[in-house]
Amino acid sequence: MTYRKLATLTVLATVMLAVLPNLAIAQMSHQHASEAACEETVLRCATKVTPAFAPDGTLWLAWMAGGQISVASSKDRGRSFSTPVQVTRERLNLDWGPDARPKLAIGAKGELALAFSTFRDQAFNGQVLTTRSTDGGRSFDPPKPITTNNESQRFEAIGFDPGGGVFAVWLDKRNRVPAQQRGEKYDGAGLFFATSKDGGATYSDARLVADNTCECCRLALAFDGAGHPVVVFRNIFEGGVRDHAIVTFNDLATPGEVHRVSSDDWQIAACPHHGPSLTISPAGTYHVTWYTNGKARKGLFYARSRDGGKTFSDPLQIGQPNRGPSRPQIAAGPLGLVMAWKEFDGQKTSIHLMTSHDDGATWSKPTDIADTADSSDHPLLVSDSRQTYLSWMTKADGYHFQAIEGEP
Amino acid sequence: MKRHLLAALVLLATLPSALAAGEGAPKAFERGSWQKLLHAHAGHPTLVHFWGVTCGPCKVELPQLGQFMKDHPDVDVVTISADLVPNLPEATRSMLDHAGLASAENWIFGDGFAERLRFEIDPAWQGDIPRTMLIARDGTITTIEGSAEIADLNKWSEAQTATIR
Repeated sequence: MTYRKLATLTVLATVMLAVLPNLAIAQMSHQHASEAACEETVLRCATKVTPAFAPDGTLWLAWMAGGQISVASSKDRGRSFSTPVQVTRERLNLDWGPDARPKLAIGAKGELALAFSTFRDQAFNGQVLTTRSTDGGRSFDPPKPITTNNESQRFEAIGFDPGGGVFAVWLDKRNRVPAQQRGEKYDGAGLFFATSKDGGATYSDARLVADNTCECCRLALAFDGAGHPVVVFRNIFEGGVRDHAIVTFNDLATPGEVHRVSSDDWQIAACPHHGPSLTISPAGTYHVTWYTNGKARKGLFYARSRDGGKTFSDPLQIGQPNRGPSRPQIAAGPLGLVMAWKEFDGQKTSIHLMTSHDDGATWSKPTDIADTADSSDHPLLVSDSRQTYLSWMTKADGYHFQAIEGEP
Repeated sequence: MKRHLLAALVLLATLPSALAAGEGAPKAFERGSWQKLLHAHAGHPTLVHFWGVTCGPCKVELPQLGQFMKDHPDVDVVTISADLVPNLPEATRSMLDHAGLASAENWIFGDGFAERLRFEIDPAWQGDIPRTMLIARDGTITTIEGSAEIADLNKWSEAQTATIR
């Protein structure tokens, strides 16, 4: 290397150093404004992580990171994971709304079905895409739209019915345009469903459950003892009241009557971005948790139904009202019921938890089991044949998967 | 080779400003921004509107607010895009432009830890949008959850004018 070249390099290096801090600041501020810790597709960079156990005890995760959906599995309850498999290839504008996440369902033979939403255009109209794996999660079919209709769809939920089919529900705005053409007002979206007999490769034509549901909250889906789908959703009742409703299907193709979960009287023309959670215990009791800011009550609530969703118990308030309790989850596990939610004290978000061993009649005192000082995903609950676990993605502290202690 | 390197360096040096959305882009709303905002508008009737690009009802309300701003030059109009994941300054700006709100004081959530930003504004707010806060001359805050009725805004605005007469 000649002296001249060295001098040039030195000058270049100096300029580089002068420029770098700016770049570093730009990079940092970008990450500060993001919910993600990093921009790659690995689990550590995920903003939303969805867990599910396979019948053989394998834990599967589907996550959203680096603009892609990936999955990996764990044979040791979350201590170590397989090499991730990327489900999506193209750079999609994945639905990053607060109540959106990839959905993962696992059949009795270990078959994997996935669903997720994207923003298909500049106006943030959504599209629900589905895919499946027939080789134990080693590869996935190219994702396909769940329906041929092109109106906005979001907030899908999927599950395997006991017969081995995949049942899917989602919110769909297709009935809005014809209503408006007739000069009628159409609030919200429609609750639609479809079924797949080939493990999620193709779905039946979409069918309507109910029009005028709230368009921006996640749905809760579970199956009753007879294998009938049960869906809880934020509805729009008379007068623009966005309270929760429930529907139990008579069979996989026939939605039953829609009943009201609670009369909270939350009249609001807004997107609460805050959907419910549902689990059905072995006794056949429906257990529902939800958020409301209604005239009748404000905060997080729990109620149960012993008559298949026709009537519900008086709502029980959850969490400390001055700590903004949010994102309630409920799961009926092998050891009883577990309820988890978030609270925020001005500095950190903590996950609080209660358990019940009498089918929801009484609940333990709340305990906090995890916290983080930056943004985080919703706390999710998942059970294997032994117990229930908390699954929680955080920006600052990575992914948590922990057995819930205190379960006798 | 050297020329290319220099060109690359010039590009690198200008990148951070090129990455910013440019003039008229919404300002980043960060920790402490709310108190600064309240301080800056103290003594002025101020309408603060929280919204987001993916929120259906917001799309309907935004142009109405644009009209309100035109009709009420005496009210400071502030918008804050409070969707949970921001980083969409272009979409935000385009919707504000179309709604006639380009000249309002526009902000966009600039902290991924949205809980903390919301807590500073109102600890009870769980993130539902649209949401409007009417801040009177004396600092009294009236919060409207969901889409605001323009008639209510007009009534409030008239009351503000009346207080200085």
